[in-house]
Amino acid sequence: MRGSDDLLEPFSEEFPGERDVPWERPLGVSGVVDGWEGRSKIWRNVALHERLAPTEARFAPFPETLSPRIVGVLQKRGLSQLYSHQAEAYELATAGRDAVIATPTASGKSLCYNLPVLNALCADRQARALYLFPTKALSRDQETALRALLTEVGLDHGAITYDGDTPGDARRAARERTGLLLTNPDMLHTGILPHHANWARFFANLRYVIIDEVHSYRGVFGSHLSNVMRRLQRVARFHGSNPVFLLASATIGNPQEHASRMIGREVSLVNESGAPTGPRRVMVYNPPIVNAELGIRQSYIKVAVRLTIDLMRAGVSTLVFGQSRNNVEVMLKYLRDRMVRLKMDPNLVHGYRGGYLPETRREIEQRLRDGKLLGVVATNALELGIDIGSLDAVVCAGYPGTVASLWQRFGRGGRRGGESLAILVASSMPLDQYIAQDAHYVLGAPIEHARIDPDNVEVLIQHLKCASFELPFEQGDGFGDVPPDVVNDALGFLTSHQVLHQVTHPSGKTMFHWASDAYPANHVSLRSIGWDNFVVVDQDHDRTIAEMDWRSTHTMLHEQAIYQHEGEQYQVERLDFDNHKAFVRKVKPDYFTNAMTYVRVSVLEQEEKAVLPEASGELVAGALEKLEAGAGEVSVIEKVVGYKKIKFHTHENVGYGEVHLPDMQMHTTAFWVTVPESVVTAQRWDRPTVVDALRGLGHAMHTVASVGLMIDPRDLGHTLGDRSEPDEAPGKSHGGGPGFDPTIFLYDRVPGGVGLSARLFQERESVLRRTRHLLQGCACDIGCPACVGPVIGAAPGIEPTPNPELSRKQVALDLLEYVGITTAH
Amino acid sequence: MDFKTKLSHLKMPFTPPAHDDVGARRVAPVPVERLDGGEQDDRFDRLRALIGDAKQRADRRMERRGEQKPVTRWNELPGVEHTGDHGAFHFVERWLDPDHRHGKVPVREALNASAEMVGKLALDATLCELDLSRLLIVDTETTGLSGGTGTIPFLIGVAWFDDGVLKLEQLLAKNLGQEAAMLRFLAERVRAASCLVTYNGKSFDWPLLRTRFIMNRVPAPLPPPHLDLLHCTRRILKPRLGEVRLTDIERELLGFHREDDVPGSQIPELYFQFLRGAPAESLAGVIEHNANDVIALAAVLGKLTQHFEQVHDNDDPRDHLAFAKVAARASDEARALRFARAALDGGGDAEVAVGAWSLTAMLAKRRGDHAGAIEALQSALQASECADASAALHLALSKLYEHKARRFDVAYEHARHTESIEGVESHQRRLERLRRRLNARADG
Repeated sequence: MRGSDDLLEPFSEEFPGERDVPWERPLGVSGVVDGWEGRSKIWRNVALHERLAPTEARFAPFPETLSPRIVGVLQKRGLSQLYSHQAEAYELATAGRDAVIATPTASGKSLCYNLPVLNALCADRQARALYLFPTKALSRDQETALRALLTEVGLDHGAITYDGDTPGDARRAARERTGLLLTNPDMLHTGILPHHANWARFFANLRYVIIDEVHSYRGVFGSHLSNVMRRLQRVARFHGSNPVFLLASATIGNPQEHASRMIGREVSLVNESGAPTGPRRVMVYNPPIVNAELGIRQSYIKVAVRLTIDLMRAGVSTLVFGQSRNNVEVMLKYLRDRMVRLKMDPNLVHGYRGGYLPETRREIEQRLRDGKLLGVVATNALELGIDIGSLDAVVCAGYPGTVASLWQRFGRGGRRGGESLAILVASSMPLDQYIAQDAHYVLGAPIEHARIDPDNVEVLIQHLKCASFELPFEQGDGFGDVPPDVVNDALGFLTSHQVLHQVTHPSGKTMFHWASDAYPANHVSLRSIGWDNFVVVDQDHDRTIAEMDWRSTHTMLHEQAIYQHEGEQYQVERLDFDNHKAFVRKVKPDYFTNAMTYVRVSVLEQEEKAVLPEASGELVAGALEKLEAGAGEVSVIEKVVGYKKIKFHTHENVGYGEVHLPDMQMHTTAFWVTVPESVVTAQRWDRPTVVDALRGLGHAMHTVASVGLMIDPRDLGHTLGDRSEPDEAPGKSHGGGPGFDPTIFLYDRVPGGVGLSARLFQERESVLRRTRHLLQGCACDIGCPACVGPVIGAAPGIEPTPNPELSRKQVALDLLEYVGITTAH
Repeated sequence: MDFKTKLSHLKMPFTPPAHDDVGARRVAPVPVERLDGGEQDDRFDRLRALIGDAKQRADRRMERRGEQKPVTRWNELPGVEHTGDHGAFHFVERWLDPDHRHGKVPVREALNASAEMVGKLALDATLCELDLSRLLIVDTETTGLSGGTGTIPFLIGVAWFDDGVLKLEQLLAKNLGQEAAMLRFLAERVRAASCLVTYNGKSFDWPLLRTRFIMNRVPAPLPPPHLDLLHCTRRILKPRLGEVRLTDIERELLGFHREDDVPGSQIPELYFQFLRGAPAESLAGVIEHNANDVIALAAVLGKLTQHFEQVHDNDDPRDHLAFAKVAARASDEARALRFARAALDGGGDAEVAVGAWSLTAMLAKRRGDHAGAIEALQSALQASECADASAALHLALSKLYEHKARRFDVAYEHARHTESIEGVESHQRRLERLRRRLNARADG
């Protein structure tokens, strides 16, 4: 959805401010920023302007054990020593220690893992290493770089990308001869591990496993990958190897813990970068509000274009990040239109996104280095480690969802010596607005945590199936760091469902063999939980355009829904629930649809309990009563009851429809906050108004939690339930009537949970304080999608908002004040 | 909440989505013991139906005894426990009657095959030198049809000639722990053999076995030369039959009709049911299926080489043509010509005639007899009823007339009909060049 409301209009003249500022070229970054500072129409929208001091390089000599052949190549490339973190990673790796390298973008992370790998190859003709990258583009890019390195060092081990596009004869070479194998998690899961006997030589000689961009494997995907790592280690052990793991991460709050969870082993942390950084300015630009009621702001796309034009006109090379391919193309068009009008050569700016050919990319990189390009507009294809040299400025059109990826993008700018600029242009979306309100947030130490739960029972059980296909289990075996008794229970479960077969071998060992015809990895998607994917069929062309997990089907593929796919709109004409197919047809509507979901949570087992705020002197000053927080196992029933039609651009409600789909039930984990009835009745508003405001508070907490936990907001759900007795677990919904305590639930929207709720419980104080901060800072009048969420109008099955003119935001703030929740600062 | 409780909350779909051949009957898994609940009952019913089927098949086989000497007459799991150095597994062994026929074809005819003929038929020179009396026929039944490291060959059928008599041995894993012992036994048989004979074994059975040797840490025997009859039958019989599944070949080539054969797609599930305690007789059909596959291969080998060795006038002209092509590829020109002649004399359709004449022309060209080649191509052209085929023949003729016979006028006449086969541009270039050469000659 993000940005689609901006896409279709051509660039217009509405942008405030003079267009004909005659910059003297080249002004450089500071000249441009000074110019903006002098113009209040621009400067009043700057939510953050901070100058970061440069840091000095810290070096270390080449390690003594590093092969002279490699040293020679590095010297030829102009390096006389290593950065300190590179040497540190090398020493750890060669000592056989697993390590995670979490230093900023462009600090030379890939050398950290490439040096030990190359050194191993120099010593051993047979040595092998496995590289895992999250995207194909990144694998291909690294393949080229690694091949060049191998050639220069004079190694003939070879490097090959093994993915769905690898031709048949290259596959054989990969299995039998290649030293460096580059692949992605899905290919490892379905293409390599289930056929490991064909890879016997590879696994027998596997010395290193490299996992790049490990922070990007989080939530469900990360939990799956962690289990793929358990399988990998099991298979490697069968073939007689015990590889060292080297992981690279963006700067997140928990790199060491995350890496350790990922591979189920102790991991050393390398996070002190020895690479120097130049002086840098960081800005957050929040476009002005154009509709206070709905909280709609001026198009961030157009603003980003305008700022970029200013920079390019002053000779500042600029990299613009868009949120989608479509966004990139639109910004590119706007930029070029604008440049034509300004009599600049429109070919000074180029697009760069997934799908561009390697030659095209090399060409763009070369022209950037030669100064023949002033600007590049890119998707996140560029965010992950692909080398395009560095530029003077980065403009991020829209918040990429996490501070970690924001800094990955920002890290793309900055040349040694000269000053660089990084700007975030916020959109109207809740997360963007949250960041814009609290813009210093982007400067602080990273607090985002990558969360995975490798022991999520649904995920674990699937990988135990795959693992037993790969190698039968013996009774008493563990599975990575999963203890034998748990594995035994799970194997028993699978045996009772006849997926496994238990046998006593002649030697007396009890073994569990795979005993089903299907080839299990083919039915386990790393991207989702569960077995039942739906396909989306374009009826006009009779082809499958997408696949969607069962859960999302309810909200996105119900009949009459507008399904958005790669910038096109399709309407669902028929949902064949039994055959898992949705039939869609391309349409050009002036509205999109939003499913209305009824959610009911009941607590199965409460595991945590605490009062909020905690009883410490200053926090409770003035608080009359407290909230109660809890966390534990819950059952969630979600039912889509209808949908709203929402007009593009204006976001007006233009109609409703009913949906009849079965309930979705899942067991998962939740965090909740109960508001005692006495607190509700103590407010100066009537009960329905307060309850409605609590709904809004849940919405805001959802936003805050998404930012803090580094998760896709869709992985979290929220709803309002209530509690009937103080000692009882909350959960039965009585509509917030008298005699009950309303309860806000935030739950993992993944069966079994991936640990989000537990972390929310730990951070409960901070979540509420930040929520208050968000509400206070939001520029809207009575509440908007960026804070307490849209006002829920009258709709079938949805209660009407009791007091539409009243500020729900204010009611929520009053309540937080009443219980003594102060803001974060 | 502890792990066991979480497990109990898991809802497991019973079997992963079916990916069998379209139309194949999906059979449900069988519980070891009866669980409560209606859902289970349904599966029990399907199990009963399945066992019923197997039993009926066995009964029908019993009835047929005497009419058509059946390969097997088991109504329960035949064979004995095999024990010894290899370890234990279930073992079925039989010596076939020296005159045993599979359909109409005596299996011992495989022994009459000459290695040279086999090598040419398989287009594999390494087979030409072999002692075929020590061949080993291998066919496996596996727990899955889509491959992967965990797919297990639970039934391995082998057969070889012992003093002129075909001996059939079937190794069955009564549980999955017996696989290693079977593989050790198989390794011994493979080491003693001069070559392997399989049907699709090059891409399926042998890679699978090699994987299983690794997985069980049993030293794999060096792969001996391998005759994969699928490739041979595909070259010879595909033009006529279209399909070359072993059962098709068996029916058409050997006159053997399987009745109540267990469909291959059901075999994995039948085995899993056996593992879970279904009566042994449900596997009898699988064992019979495997025995038929192995025995059929001996007969196919004998029959194919016999018909390649000498022209059989009653064979279909399409077969003659296919044999001719194989002989040509094996550089046995004399044989190729004999079969091409037979194809022409056999009264085949225009396509066969065109093919046979074209092949004759190709052979003539190979020996440098360009006049002979032109003559054969003209005969082909006369026989041709298909525009594209004619265009191709015109093109071949045009080239021969231009470059060999140097008759540019005739070459030009033929070149006028080649556009559809070589495209507008090359066609125009060809005409242009020929005109130039014609003019040059006229001037000169």
